Amino acid sequence: MREITHAALGRAPYGPVLEIQRRLHALRRAGHVPDILISVEHEPVITVGRLGSGEHILADPKVLSRMGVEVYRVERGGDVTYHGPGQLVLYPILDLREHGRDLKRYVASLEEVMLRTARHFGVEAHRRPGFPGVWLGLRKLGSVGVHVRGWVTMHGLALNVDLRPNLFSLIVPCGLHGVEAVSLTELAGRPVPLTEVREVALGFFAEVFGVRLVPLDREVLTEWTR
Amino acid sequence: MDIAVPSLGEVDEVRLVRWLKRVGDEVDAGEAVAEVEADKAVFVIEAPAAGRIAETLVPEGGTVRPGEAIGRLEAL
Repeated sequence: MREITHAALGRAPYGPVLEIQRRLHALRRAGHVPDILISVEHEPVITVGRLGSGEHILADPKVLSRMGVEVYRVERGGDVTYHGPGQLVLYPILDLREHGRDLKRYVASLEEVMLRTARHFGVEAHRRPGFPGVWLGLRKLGSVGVHVRGWVTMHGLALNVDLRPNLFSLIVPCGLHGVEAVSLTELAGRPVPLTEVREVALGFFAEVFGVRLVPLDREVLTEWTR
Repeated sequence: MDIAVPSLGEVDEVRLVRWLKRVGDEVDAGEAVAEVEADKAVFVIEAPAAGRIAETLVPEGGTVRPGEAIGRLEAL
């Protein structure tokens, strides 16, 4: 069975992890490192993808700055999103030539990981044709945003586990008016610890992609991203 | 030589998000020339060879099908 190296970064601010992603993405494209899956929980941050202009950030820059919420423009698809505590984020850095060479199926696989994870906790979420992500009606439980160059992926998925406070109120999620973010804890009707959701989601990631996850030694990661 | 969107699997159509190069720019083989998007996934289009961008066939915001050309490259 194919192996994917898993780098568990715990809780970390967005900027340094973005730099790690970009470095590993370049190394993967050059064939210097294997497929890697990063798992992380971010400090509060707003990111704007290639289809966004920043117009869907509702909060005043001064307010954001006072709250310590940074704004990043990034190379992924999609408009604006929020990451923060209580959200599970996965960044697969995969060579899709070894995983079906299909952009649509890749996005569907990321959604599938979130759908199965939600179902494990008793929540039946669904896809919305034309609006990638996982949904309950107009409420969004999980998002997808991907960048691919030379068939190597970066960025990935974000699953709302327990958003308190729910700072999606700072933005128009995905640039779609009327959409609100919902978290697994609200839907499951009980507190669901992020650590538990991470283990379950990693298991489904391995299942959906047909791989075995192998933990990455922190020193090796340091070596790669130096 | 055509600068084309490769087959992306089950993707029927992509939107050209932005050109990274302009007509007249010189590029190396493999250099990023444009970005297209489908399903919240951005895919970078790279120059198939070294050359000069001779023509762009699809504007930013325009749609194109995988396999079709978005521009042409001329030899230096």
